[in-house]
Amino acid sequence: MSKCNTSLRIKNIILVFVALAIFGCANKKDNAPKKIAVVISTLNNPWFLVLGESAAERARELGYEATIFDSQNNTSKEAEHFENLIAAGYSAILFNPTDSEGSVSNVKRAKQAGVPTFCMDREINALEVATSQIISDSFSGCVALGEYFVRQLNKKGNYVELLGLVGDNNTWNRSKGFHSVVDHFPELKMVAQQSADFDRSKALEVLESILQSNPDIDAVFCGNDAMAMGAYQALVAAGKTDSVMVFGFDGTEDVMNAIYDKRIKATVMQSPKFMAKTAAELADQYIKGKRDFTAKTPISVEVVTQENINEFGAYGSKN
Amino acid sequence: MKKPVKYLITALILGFLVYNSVYIKDLDEVKKAQTDVTFNAKTYASEFFDTKIEMLSSLNASDFLNSLKTDVKGYSEAYGNKLGIGNDYYFIIDGKATVLDIDEEFVVVELHDDQQKIKIATDFIFGNAIREGAKMANIGDYQNTMDYNTISVELNNIVRETVVPPFIRKVKKGDQLYFKGAVKVNTKKSKIEQLTVIPLVLKIDK
Repeated sequence: MSKCNTSLRIKNIILVFVALAIFGCANKKDNAPKKIAVVISTLNNPWFLVLGESAAERARELGYEATIFDSQNNTSKEAEHFENLIAAGYSAILFNPTDSEGSVSNVKRAKQAGVPTFCMDREINALEVATSQIISDSFSGCVALGEYFVRQLNKKGNYVELLGLVGDNNTWNRSKGFHSVVDHFPELKMVAQQSADFDRSKALEVLESILQSNPDIDAVFCGNDAMAMGAYQALVAAGKTDSVMVFGFDGTEDVMNAIYDKRIKATVMQSPKFMAKTAAELADQYIKGKRDFTAKTPISVEVVTQENINEFGAYGSKN
Repeated sequence: MKKPVKYLITALILGFLVYNSVYIKDLDEVKKAQTDVTFNAKTYASEFFDTKIEMLSSLNASDFLNSLKTDVKGYSEAYGNKLGIGNDYYFIIDGKATVLDIDEEFVVVELHDDQQKIKIATDFIFGNAIREGAKMANIGDYQNTMDYNTISVELNNIVRETVVPPFIRKVKKGDQLYFKGAVKVNTKKSKIEQLTVIPLVLKIDK
């Protein structure tokens, strides 16, 4: 009888502890800040680092716990991040995709789990999957850059184009914008077009190799600033910095300094800070109940040249 | 039935089935066909030029310039079209004018209403002024933004190939003309006197 009472007491005590643990946890969970994930294609590029850090910073300012995930330009790594963050109960994802096609399934998975995704800078090739996509108007930027390019070369000369990642829509929007202008001037000849994956070291290698077969070039158009810096290094090594103009895209600090020092001719300024801030604020609105979002919001960009460099700061800040 | 005949009939049936089950096509052709089915910007742009230009609503060029001089931001926000977030606004304007000067890249005309001058582009026909001025498409409807941008490329090609050449062949200083076209205004940077119209219609009076 006493044995039975003792076991009953123990059972009751355990039940009380279990109940306390459950309700205690529930209260704790209610009070804890909601979490926002920032998934970035690569943190190896300073522009994307600024994008990721700015998004996390704005999310924290809005009262969220923010964590940055680096996909290392690898769609499988990105898929792993999505699986983990969905399981961990994140409330929203601020997302910079690695691949416009390959990243679609990850965003779909998040949507099925009820987690909204806000794309930043790069788009995915799917409608009604991401809650909203905040992208730079790369095409218009490269139309304006193309016009400047044509005038700087007096409508004639040989040039090289270094493309970014071939799976990224930005690569083709920039290239297409540039060629929508430059191809209408028959005396401007593209002697080589090769991908350097938006990477500085690859751009150095690729341009060095191109210069061996095409030593007489007048300009290099690069799909981003990291490649522009790599291309410039190759020209330094070849002793051609005075005769070859370099054009980039992004507005990173090193290229802005290089334009100021007249080493690089021009770039297109797109603001990672503004895009990140906009994405974080849209995620906040979603979490607070808003559901009506514009599918795509392009953000205008500006050409930065040696003539107007004093109007700009790096990464989209204005002087 | 003899064995060789059996084998022959079986081989023929198998051959027939395999031949009709597998199709070999050039990958480029398949890709092109898929793109054509998905979206054909060239056709879309041509249809727009063939059916919409005449009826496209436009602002009087003199009123447009005067309003910009008074309040560029307020007027642009009220009457211009905009793509996403930025300071660029797009308009369709028209007017009657006299040709004052013919440059390598544009012609300068004087508006009949109030003698203001404006440039009409004849060489640098680039960008999104027509697509956005006419508000003929919505970026959110396009899975790939490149499709959306290709509309601009094709519209500009039509202007470059069909609107400008017959005009350039005939135009001379002092000609009277009617024009309708698209203009981009940047509310922070544009200088009114440097605005350039991308022409949609150019008719020289006989």
